[in-house]
Amino acid sequence: MTVLDIVFWLLAVISIGAALAVVFLQNIFRAALFLVLCFFAVAGLFITLQADFLAVAQVLIYVGAISILIILAIMLTREMWRGNPGGRFQLPAFIIALGLFGVMVWAVINTSWQISAELPLVPTTAAIGSRLFGEGGLLLPLEIAAVLLLAAILGAIVLVREK
Amino acid sequence: MSLKLELLTPELSLLIFALLVILLDLGIKQKKVLAGVSILGLLVSGGFVLTLWGRESASAFNGMFLVDPFALFFKLLFLIAAGLVILASQDYVSKFARFQGEYYALILISAIGMMLLATTGELISIYIALELSSISLYILTGFLKDPKSSEAGLKYLLLGAVASATLLYGMALVFGLTGKTRLTEIAQAIQTIPLTTLLDSPALLLGIILLACGFGFKIACVPFQMWVPDVYEGAPTPITAYLSVASKAAGFAVIARFFYTTFGVPDWLSLNWGILFASLSAITMTLGNVIAIAQTNIKRMLGYSSIAQAGYLMVGLAAVGVASMADTLGRSGLLFFLASYTLTNLGAFIAIIAISNKIDSDLIDDYTGMGSRAPLLALGLTLCLISLIGLPPTAGLIAKIYIFNAGVHYGLLWLVVIGVINSCISAYYYLGVVKVMWLGAPVSEEKVPSSWALRIVLALTCLGVLVLGIIPGKFVQIAETAVRIFTS
Amino acid sequence: MSVSLEHYLILSALLFCIGLYGALSRRNTIVILMSIEIMLNAVNVALVAFSRYIVPLVLTGQVFALFVMVVAAAEVAVGLAIIIALYRSRETVDVEQADLMKG
Repeated sequence: MTVLDIVFWLLAVISIGAALAVVFLQNIFRAALFLVLCFFAVAGLFITLQADFLAVAQVLIYVGAISILIILAIMLTREMWRGNPGGRFQLPAFIIALGLFGVMVWAVINTSWQISAELPLVPTTAAIGSRLFGEGGLLLPLEIAAVLLLAAILGAIVLVREK
Repeated sequence: MSLKLELLTPELSLLIFALLVILLDLGIKQKKVLAGVSILGLLVSGGFVLTLWGRESASAFNGMFLVDPFALFFKLLFLIAAGLVILASQDYVSKFARFQGEYYALILISAIGMMLLATTGELISIYIALELSSISLYILTGFLKDPKSSEAGLKYLLLGAVASATLLYGMALVFGLTGKTRLTEIAQAIQTIPLTTLLDSPALLLGIILLACGFGFKIACVPFQMWVPDVYEGAPTPITAYLSVASKAAGFAVIARFFYTTFGVPDWLSLNWGILFASLSAITMTLGNVIAIAQTNIKRMLGYSSIAQAGYLMVGLAAVGVASMADTLGRSGLLFFLASYTLTNLGAFIAIIAISNKIDSDLIDDYTGMGSRAPLLALGLTLCLISLIGLPPTAGLIAKIYIFNAGVHYGLLWLVVIGVINSCISAYYYLGVVKVMWLGAPVSEEKVPSSWALRIVLALTCLGVLVLGIIPGKFVQIAETAVRIFTS
Repeated sequence: MSVSLEHYLILSALLFCIGLYGALSRRNTIVILMSIEIMLNAVNVALVAFSRYIVPLVLTGQVFALFVMVVAAAEVAVGLAIIIALYRSRETVDVEQADLMKG
């Protein structure tokens, strides 16, 4: 077992545990904190996959922005939170989730993936940059994403501002 | 890098006008001007689409942005739908106080997203365009900010986000199997992988199923239709109309391009998803029609009706899947049905916007006697309802004949029989509304006012329904040209 | 045993299903939103794993994951805005209280 393997197993356990905590903890503020832990664990997984730029982006966007927004919303609606009870669909949801997991694992194990023997590109930042903006690049989704962010900003303002 | 920006002029011009609307909103007091600017933007964009029409298929951004008759057909459809919705909203926008500029801008932005959805041939772009149009629609659904509207927006967002996460996982699996994101390259990769049956590569099968689940939410087919009644009821009625028409058409456009291009060629693969769509189609149309009978709220009734209409549309998808490359009828039938359904449903909703605005209620019982209070509106609504059933001389009849013909032609007779039975069942609740309007005694004698903008669009849609029904030839030709890219 | 693609994919599947369960079964809308974020993270793990093992020199999967992050951020922003708007008008964040429309 190499160091990388040990790190992977450690991060895997942390992320699964944190995810379960988010879903099942009764105190939703603590659940939000476990969500942050899950995001960090996923960032660590990105590093084990040699995706350095993405790991930093994960921390910046998810931990730095999305988690803050979620905690803010929890605080703003704090008076009426009634914990984290289970709804009507607990059993069907569990069956669906378990079934889907089983199918996914079976599908993943039984498919012959065309695994490449080449070593990954490191560091990735310059490569991602040229992939986005360079020749044969993904410029179109980038521009659409810009309009998406505009629409989200507009929407957030319209929905939250008083009349 | 070959940017070929002249191919993007429809989307770019619409975006510029959307930004213009937002900026003008800061200075202008007369909000009607904003509606005018939006309509102008749609007309300019439509003009650009028409200039691109005659040319042969081209692509920009290295094959990610495909400009072919299929894409142009849908772009025109979305522009027309957005324009009709904006005009029909004129009676409604006073409820939005100072956010009218954002309302128009978001409708235009969601139209941009849908236009991109119909035209792109690459996984990442499909996902981003899908989310662009969806997020704009989530916002528009919750625009009234009263409890019902916010609840509708929230349900739509939460369920929509789960569906797009599922869809995304399907895309990830397909990407993982082939290593490519362009649809044409994926199709090539699937053909070169040595597979004999579907079970050799379960990841592909799982990917297709997850994709179908995600897209199925968008078009509201069973078992992903639960969101429709509540969201349709709570959203502002013009947005309900827009959702029922444009969002559904966008969903079918992307499913058609995705499944026809990527999963169309190995015959056994195409047969499998063809059967899947056929079964879902049967369940969807039956469920939609049966539950619609029990509805007392007209928006919910039209919501279930649109679920059933999606079921009829899926007959076209199933026919293509079962027949694979040999099919010509199913593909063009799908497009014609979408065009007819767009005009019909919009017409019905436009009449409802005016009437419900006046009587401040969405219950069918309150529509009693509308025949005498608002004869033109009631006439328009009646015509559209008749088209939804599929009776002559409306577009709905031609659309159903066309698509059911495709079904029969490729061995789906059982499905067509179910479809015809369903059309008869649906007559019950559509005609129920007609009966209430023309045969009941009105509660009061007040006339129902409607702005001239609304009357114009109602007249245009009803005219369209009649024209498509009486002289469909030219439009059938257009539909067939549009789908030629898949068979060549 | 050495860690390979299958390990990452199974981890991704597990996270996805935990998130799916949370999204479908919980009543607190903010918890549902957090579960959706877990689902999107799971997809990102799968995408980056595919990028590393199947096309390591092209990085398409990583760029895809980057765009998913952008979309997730936008969705959370709009989702929380709607939740706050709903809270203001109804004073609750419980989905089973959100039943104004039935039938």
